[in-house]
Amino acid sequence: MNSVLADKRAIAILLGPALLVYTLITMVPVVWSFVLTFFKGNPLQGFDFAGIQNFQRLFTDSYVHDAFWFTVKYALLTSIGQVVLGYGLALLYMFVLKKSSSIVRTLVFFPVVLPTVAISLLYQKLFQSAPNDGLVNELLVNVGLSGVDWLGAGDTAFIVIIIMDVWRSMGFYGVLIFSGLLDIPEDIIESARMDGARFWSLFRHIILPMSLPILFASAIFSINGTVKVFDSVFALTGGGPGNSTTPLTLYMYRTAFQYSDYGYGSTIALLLTIMCLLITLLLFRSSRRDNTL
Amino acid sequence: MTELTAPLSSRRRASDNPVVKLAKRIPAFLVIVFLILITAYPLFWMVINSLKGKSDFLDNPSYALPEVWMWDNYARAWEVGNLGTTITNSIIVTIPSLVLIVILGTAAGFALEVMIWKGRGGVLLYVLAGIMIPGQMIILPLFTTFFSIGLVGSLWPLIIIYTAGGLPLTIFMMATYFRAIPREVFEASTLDGASILRSFRSVGFPMVRNAVLTVAIVQFFLIWNDLLIALIFAGQRKLNTIQVGLLNFSGEYGAIDYGPLFAAICITVGGILVLYLFLNQRIMKGLAAGAVKG
Amino acid sequence: MTTAHRPRAARGLLLTVGALSVATLALAGCAGGGSSAPEALTFLKNAENTTTEPILQALADDQCAAQEETLPLEISSVPQADLDAQVQLLASQNGLPVMFSAGGNPAEGAKLWDQGVILDLDEALTDLGVKDKIAPGAISTIEKLYGGAFNFLPFQYNIEGVFYNKALFEENGWEVPTTFDELTALSAEIQAAGYTPLSASGEQGWPLTRLISGYLFRDLGPDALKKVADGEAKLTDPEYVAAAQAIADLGAAGYFGQNVTSLDYDAATNEFLTGKAAMIYMGSWLLGNINGDGNQIGAENVGFFPYPAVEGGAGDIGQYPANVGLPATFGSKTYTPEVGEWLKCIAENYGNEAAEQGQITGFISDVEVEQNEVTATIADTIATSTDSVLWFEALFNAKASNISSTNAALLVTGQISAEEFMGLVQDALDNP
Repeated sequence: MNSVLADKRAIAILLGPALLVYTLITMVPVVWSFVLTFFKGNPLQGFDFAGIQNFQRLFTDSYVHDAFWFTVKYALLTSIGQVVLGYGLALLYMFVLKKSSSIVRTLVFFPVVLPTVAISLLYQKLFQSAPNDGLVNELLVNVGLSGVDWLGAGDTAFIVIIIMDVWRSMGFYGVLIFSGLLDIPEDIIESARMDGARFWSLFRHIILPMSLPILFASAIFSINGTVKVFDSVFALTGGGPGNSTTPLTLYMYRTAFQYSDYGYGSTIALLLTIMCLLITLLLFRSSRRDNTL
Repeated sequence: MTELTAPLSSRRRASDNPVVKLAKRIPAFLVIVFLILITAYPLFWMVINSLKGKSDFLDNPSYALPEVWMWDNYARAWEVGNLGTTITNSIIVTIPSLVLIVILGTAAGFALEVMIWKGRGGVLLYVLAGIMIPGQMIILPLFTTFFSIGLVGSLWPLIIIYTAGGLPLTIFMMATYFRAIPREVFEASTLDGASILRSFRSVGFPMVRNAVLTVAIVQFFLIWNDLLIALIFAGQRKLNTIQVGLLNFSGEYGAIDYGPLFAAICITVGGILVLYLFLNQRIMKGLAAGAVKG
Repeated sequence: MTTAHRPRAARGLLLTVGALSVATLALAGCAGGGSSAPEALTFLKNAENTTTEPILQALADDQCAAQEETLPLEISSVPQADLDAQVQLLASQNGLPVMFSAGGNPAEGAKLWDQGVILDLDEALTDLGVKDKIAPGAISTIEKLYGGAFNFLPFQYNIEGVFYNKALFEENGWEVPTTFDELTALSAEIQAAGYTPLSASGEQGWPLTRLISGYLFRDLGPDALKKVADGEAKLTDPEYVAAAQAIADLGAAGYFGQNVTSLDYDAATNEFLTGKAAMIYMGSWLLGNINGDGNQIGAENVGFFPYPAVEGGAGDIGQYPANVGLPATFGSKTYTPEVGEWLKCIAENYGNEAAEQGQITGFISDVEVEQNEVTATIADTIATSTDSVLWFEALFNAKASNISSTNAALLVTGQISAEEFMGLVQDALDNP
């Protein structure tokens, strides 16, 4: 029987094309870029061998240091926000709204459709403080607090970025996780819906464990997006003020494409890749353990 | 979350009394109103700002209604934003990429999770690594390669890169979905002499249709909203995608043509929204069908 | 989904991939070639520039119709943020268009010149006999910016200074300041009268750093930043830090208004054009807004004065900061006699066509157009000024330039000190 599922030709046909495209378009360029980490220069002026200079620089560069911690903080908070709120939404659809959840689901999903440019302008205006106060500051002033120059300082700009990115994608995670919850047997769902007191025990012992695969997939997906955050930060704050909201991707982009130092840019990208790999492996292993329990 | 579930946990005692039952639903109702408010507001905001003149936008609070309704912004948006071209390009790029991602990704996920062979774990990890590659990392080698084989100046680079970029996540997700299906299902389907390829097509693929939809939606928005790759490979006006085209509303020294920009966004988003509402029924039906079978 | 179709699924899949790679190869075969004689006047520009294209198009339709016949004009544009990278990538592949914009960061433009990929316009225009069609002031600015040679065309030519609200000044009896101390004193008065003295976009950053360079040029002389670029002086030297401190003091006194850090370009401009701010430091491109609909104070009420002198300084108030925007040039490898014909035609006619469209360029124009007072003031200044200076970031590398503009707002809001600011920029200059 195993011979059917071990048919070499079938495996080649099924896996071959994807693996080929992936290898040629992703992995070969990655290796190519890794090689560049040992060079200094750009395509215009040529590349010079630089040994491990780029790596030495990586560890002493205060901008890398700042960008690294910004990325870590941002990725953690945003991913937690996205998955937790997404799960909350999914449960809301499932247990409170039931069949009528479609319209709410669509509405909450809506921000995902918006281009980053639109969202960042919206948030710039919402959190505006000069020359006039935006909506948020007006609300603050109305309840007796003073307005804040949200995008004028790193800490507050960081908060705005997180709110923006959680807001724009929670509806998406809501639908993603909701579709995963649909795999939970109907009778369990029904009895949880009917019986408020049993809801918690059902939730803890059955629903939550059964949601773990989809939560885990969402977490991987989310952390992937957040570690590689680029568009939203670029459009909202441009990494500023100063470099206070510059993630590694933006610093890498600037280094390679604006400062024309492809070698060092690739080195930063390598750091980013390693970071991503470690996080995924960590999640991957922890999920395996959960599955066997 | 506690807010949302609170009315549920006390439902048993409350369920006898309709008034109490109603009262207990109020928090959930408030949550939903709040959700709708924070997500519908930007839509409203964009539409009203797409109808404002520049000084109106700058002088008055951005949530106020237009002083003069500038319908003209939409005509300007179409022209300046080059929307006819950019919408076409975005569609030309997105659809083939999506089809390729779904077909190649599902097949590979099937091969990696259902088929039995040595080294599957290794290959899965190799693919998983790809999820993590930042797009910036592969731009330079790809530009050089695509240029030397003459693809720069067409939309091919975008289709190829989006396909390759979407594969790892898709393969990984499909593998996860196939994991939930017992191998016996496929073995049984091949008993009547059908090849495993046929069984993938007739049994495997339909069983994960729900997941395919999810994956397609995920990838659609990633591709549709991409700016980084499109900037490098579709910078030329005739190749502009929607996202790149929106940059046409910025001036050289930092000025932005707000009204027409929002109008352009409304036009493009409106299209997607209609598509989404139209597909929504199908998507949800597909999801439900998947659930029944699962 | 019928049984008969199923075996084809996998084959179809393979075919798709196969077709794709064949298409790729076929396309690959067609291309290649490299830099043979161009068949069109391809022009790659920054999408944000909307003024050059209508003029070139008008020329192609009329004065340069013959050239258009042999080499049709084909304009494509990429976003400014991506232009330098794109040009660099194209240059490295020998794939530059015949004509292209470059050098948003002048240092990057100078690199192209050093690599020999752009045309020596001095030589080319002299050969064509039309070098006198370019304003000498513009040529001198270009030479200062792009590695000492005349290698870019000044499709735009801007000077910078302070635009002020004349009506407001007259009403309150304020005098145009001629020294920096007067400017400071005046700002205090304006602030007391309830207006923002100087509107500036902290979000953009450069409107603030230009105030620093203005101070440096007046205080230390027109070569102040050249010395920094050549390594003869450092931004961290006390006399340089003093300039940053002077601007930081303006910010500390609140002369840029509240929350300047997040004030964007349009909002800053609008503050001035709606009469809420009395002055704005800006380039002559602002004339477009001043003469446009958004101007609520009226074009006749706008005046222009040069950056004031610093007492005891080595600079002169007559030295205007000038720039050529994001200029365009020709590739050296695709420059054929036919392209030369185009260049000649552009040089001869661009100035007049631009003047008719109401633009100020670095090309000589001999048509009389009706101008309002402030436009005329600026046109005269450009025509008569003999010495120009650059701006703060002009000779910086891309990194220093970026760091300077992203940190400027932090300087004027006191989030970093003048020493720290200059230190950050100098550090980026030393470690590109």
